[in-house]
Amino acid sequence: MPVADPVSELSIDPDSSEFRLASDWLGRAGRELGIPPEQIARLDVCLNEVLANVLDHGGASARSAPIGLRLARKRDPDGADATLTVTDAGSAFDPLAVLPRSRPQTLAEAAPGGLGLVMLRANADSLRYVYAEGRNQLTFGVRWNTVHK
Amino acid sequence: MPIDIKEVNEKLRRIVLTGRLDIPGTEEIAIRFAKAATSAGQAVVVDLTAVSFLGSIGIRALISNAKAAQSKGARMVLFVGGNETVTKTLQTTGIDVLIPTFADATKAEQAALN
Repeated sequence: MPVADPVSELSIDPDSSEFRLASDWLGRAGRELGIPPEQIARLDVCLNEVLANVLDHGGASARSAPIGLRLARKRDPDGADATLTVTDAGSAFDPLAVLPRSRPQTLAEAAPGGLGLVMLRANADSLRYVYAEGRNQLTFGVRWNTVHK
Repeated sequence: MPIDIKEVNEKLRRIVLTGRLDIPGTEEIAIRFAKAATSAGQAVVVDLTAVSFLGSIGIRALISNAKAAQSKGARMVLFVGGNETVTKTLQTTGIDVLIPTFADATKAEQAALN
């Protein structure tokens, strides 16, 4: 009989004061699900940037309903992966459709903003966005090798 | 989020940040950090060796304060020591190219004063 993939879920208020709670939950749940610390750290970077985007781009509706978090871990013969799905009630916003900006070459050229997506893309091995039932659903994942050679 | 300001001498100030530079952590120190980075007209070394998490909002604060220091004729550099997490984030975002970044404390101080 197949064993279900382990999952952990959390709901937080759409307020930046809740972000530490989300990171603490990720650390705790990640350890319980057997996700390596370095992979939890990558997910933590992604989580913080995605939550910031929800508040920055989601408008008033984003602040009207809780943000859902769902952490799942899967194994296969070659390795394992962990995915974290963030769902929110904000305006439809697909961060994956945003074109990467060119990097500034001097301090004077550097403008605020845009770095969150750079960090998200750099830390996630997989990214998927869906808008369904009035909610943004962004899933980011990390993968690691479990085969010792 | 602790912030410790050390006057190395009349020309150089070291700002030591500890903990998470995420949204709550960065908001907590934003005013003190900005003031410390620009108020005395001194060169500034920002010590990130004890920072456990660096988010984009923390990077924004670094850029903003480095720009402000530059506008006052001072220079701000970053000291990361052996902090691999912070070093990787700075490299990933290209900030190490915009703000001089050093693993060695002496070199960081020398660069800030040059």
